[in-house]
Amino acid sequence: MTTLPLAGESGPEKLCMGALADIWTIAKWEVKKSFSLMNRDVLPLAVVLFVLLVVVTGFSAQSGLHIQDGMYRVGVDDPAVAQMLAGDARFMVYQLDTPTLIENRDAFDLVIVNGFVNVGEGSRAVAAQKTLERDYAKYVGSVFNEQEDLFAAYPLWIDTQGITSELDFMSTQSGQYVSAAPPRPGAPVPEGTIEQIATPSSSLSVTEDELREQLVTSNAKNTQISRYTDALSSSSSTMGTFKTPSQLSPPLPFDSIIIVFVFIFPLYFTSQFFMMSIMNERIERRGEILLSVPVKTSSIILGKMLPFFLGMLAICTALTFWIGASPLIILPLIPVIFFFLANALLIGMLARSFKELSFVSIFFSTVATSYLFFPTIFANVHVISLISPLTLIVLTMQGTAWTVTDYLYSTSLFWLTSIVLFYIAARNFKEERLFSEKGLVTRMREFLSEILSKKRPFLSLFLLSGFSIPFVFMVQMMCLVLFFNLPMPFSLICLLLLAALIEEIAKGVGIYTLYARDPAFLTWKNLVFACGATAIGFLVGEKLLLFVTLAQISDSIFGSILFLSLGSLWLPLLLHFVCVLIVACCLKKWGKAGFVPGLVLAMIAHCVYNLYFLLGWLT
Amino acid sequence: MKARHLSIIAKKEFRGLFSERTILLAVLLQLFIALFSSFLMVGLTSMYDPSSLSQYSHFRYNVGYAGNDSGMLSTLYDSPDFRVFKMDLSTGVAALKERKLAAVIWVPDTAPDADEPVKITLYTLQNDLQSAIVDVKLKDIFLKYEANLREIRSERLDALPLLLKIPSSTGGGDFFEFVYGLLIPLLVFMPAIIASALIIDLITEEYQHDTLETLVSTPVTFSEMVWGKVLACEVLVPVQAGVWLILLMINGIAIQNAGLILLHVTISSLALILLGALTALHYRERTAAQFIFSTALVVVILLALSLPSNPMNLLTRLAVGTAGAEQWIVLVIVMAVVAVLGYATQRYAERISRINHSG
Repeated sequence: MTTLPLAGESGPEKLCMGALADIWTIAKWEVKKSFSLMNRDVLPLAVVLFVLLVVVTGFSAQSGLHIQDGMYRVGVDDPAVAQMLAGDARFMVYQLDTPTLIENRDAFDLVIVNGFVNVGEGSRAVAAQKTLERDYAKYVGSVFNEQEDLFAAYPLWIDTQGITSELDFMSTQSGQYVSAAPPRPGAPVPEGTIEQIATPSSSLSVTEDELREQLVTSNAKNTQISRYTDALSSSSSTMGTFKTPSQLSPPLPFDSIIIVFVFIFPLYFTSQFFMMSIMNERIERRGEILLSVPVKTSSIILGKMLPFFLGMLAICTALTFWIGASPLIILPLIPVIFFFLANALLIGMLARSFKELSFVSIFFSTVATSYLFFPTIFANVHVISLISPLTLIVLTMQGTAWTVTDYLYSTSLFWLTSIVLFYIAARNFKEERLFSEKGLVTRMREFLSEILSKKRPFLSLFLLSGFSIPFVFMVQMMCLVLFFNLPMPFSLICLLLLAALIEEIAKGVGIYTLYARDPAFLTWKNLVFACGATAIGFLVGEKLLLFVTLAQISDSIFGSILFLSLGSLWLPLLLHFVCVLIVACCLKKWGKAGFVPGLVLAMIAHCVYNLYFLLGWLT
Repeated sequence: MKARHLSIIAKKEFRGLFSERTILLAVLLQLFIALFSSFLMVGLTSMYDPSSLSQYSHFRYNVGYAGNDSGMLSTLYDSPDFRVFKMDLSTGVAALKERKLAAVIWVPDTAPDADEPVKITLYTLQNDLQSAIVDVKLKDIFLKYEANLREIRSERLDALPLLLKIPSSTGGGDFFEFVYGLLIPLLVFMPAIIASALIIDLITEEYQHDTLETLVSTPVTFSEMVWGKVLACEVLVPVQAGVWLILLMINGIAIQNAGLILLHVTISSLALILLGALTALHYRERTAAQFIFSTALVVVILLALSLPSNPMNLLTRLAVGTAGAEQWIVLVIVMAVVAVLGYATQRYAERISRINHSG
């Protein structure tokens, strides 16, 4: 094994430099080890595969992705129409004579006779019609683009000006529709001051040839691959805001899907190797050497992480340059990278076998990807989309500016959870945890137990429940998405129950851990104190996070509700206290077996409270 | 090779999966994605075609009209979607900012038959769901006006496109290609990818945890062990894919030829699993094997997708019901690939066990 030359000098002034040097050494060691693992066998094959990948990418760029070929059957009688449709592989075109077509029209999704399109029955036929409409528009476009007199073919141009409304979030929150029909007749009159808007010029600021070029490129774009990759060829053309009416359509969410996957997939891929590197230390107790060196565990973890972090950053930067986007989009990616690394670290430390590692990591990455992905669909639509940092990327690529508060708002949950996870991992990165063979749940409990101080259990409980808030928020957000599609009363009931259950688990888990570590700890006095500490910690964390995230929406109103009305805070505090107390009492009475019934009881109590206020609020 | 030995190995792997409760995570994941994808569909449909959200469709939006009269004004007045107010541009934009209007249109005094184009300026709200809907509805108005202007200037055109009369669309349909042409092949194929990653885990684990010696000392031969693991992974594929199909159907997506889809997925997945097994046998270490395998997987899948009538495309065609006899040709080709890979795996496993015995 390689020996570690370590800068292990003591003394406070050298401590910081020493830690940095340690991290650097470990990072170098990690890189060296990864390359020795990637031995002479792997590298040549990897190079061959990479070359193959480039070749295949080139090939598929030429031939297109044939995944939607032959979805529709179309019968035509005119060879010119058949010629027009031949370019789209989604259509299977049958050219037959008119009587045969009419006789067998049920066999086709679309039948085109004498220029008249007959649409068959069913959703496939409707979809075929939509595709035909788009293809036809493209074809018409290609004919018009060739016209000598471009402005006879495209007589109408639209210059779109986006106006930012001052009211947006609050009004949509309170259910007010934009420009709802006014109660009285007559034109609406603005209440505020009227700013003078300069009369727009009636002429286009670009030449006919430039416009023609833009029309040709935008028309050519709709090939097999670009149906999926439109987003990458940065859709904002040089023409700026000038569009013909047919180019005027709302931004498609497909763009966001592509962007998300282009950026998330390499992150997922790289974090896999980090996971594996952690796991490798644990197989056959190989990590003992690493643990025996006189270095702080946090330095070991940071050192092992550094190469992967830099690698991910390099990949993201390369991708950014490749798609020609602004380097600003790296900023929101950094907390996402940390989030992936923090989770990879914990998963690598928790999993007992490769299978478990695979499944847990697939599970995690799917959940994380959907959390990152779903809000970006609404990137152009609603402020709520900002809960995902990737929305900032979508906005940057569109050329929309975002502020520092936007950044804080969308990334704070990721920063917080990553820090908490790193802390838990750092505290547990030692022999008895890394090499234990216990089950996943037991190990999770042990991990938690490690961060609960024996000397100051109540302070630990306070902090634990406070820091559990970002996780609770994230999980509750996911539930919101999950139950979105259930019919109305069920979705609300499920959401209420599950939201309550998640909160109760977050609160109860600390006391459960303490009890499992030392059942004698839970005397009645300690029990009450523990519940109090948990309840206060939870409340403080909850209000703090709400304040941070909502402050950007409106500091005045929400701030005042949260902080000036401290008098009404005793009610939620009482709720948290009572619920934890239920769980703790069940634990004390029936031992570990009482935990689940306790949670259920606490959940019911929580729901009753919520329902009371919800109903009271409704009436 | 004895069938009993294969099933013993396969059972051992299943016990491992169940005792670790990792299989539970896989089930949870499926449920999660299924629920999630139907959320997506609602989101996607409403974005593509906002009028499908019925609550918005009966709405009349206020639109400010500034500048000069044009042929568009009468279309706007006739439209059931809009309530038009002629006003001054600055007042209109101020009202727009206060959300009293949904859009403001400014029209110049360009004559309909002028040489230069008519340039309309459209002011809309950013960051708003309704303004996306307004955009879609205004687009129809603009298109009508464009056709009108084109008619007036038609003598200046030197070629006319073929005329197709397409009935006005009934709404919906946009989302069909996304579901059948992307979601279904992707979801149904995912178990195959998971299974091929799993075989790497199962094989490298024996090497890296040094449990191989014990296993080979039993009457089970080395190649039987490999095939037993392949069997365990293979059995998971149709089960998981079947669950997908059922979940999608519960979500109201009609899928035709479910049985044939399962048959194709099961056989194509065997090719991937054998590829994974070969990689794992060669490297005997998870990081290297997974790295090489995933890169190879991307190459293979990309290559397959670039070929017409590939297995993924076949899944799409089967699901929508337009697959013909060509599916059997594809199946035979895939089976030939599987046979080659299977032969290679068998030979490789035999070679390894010979070396083990002699060494």
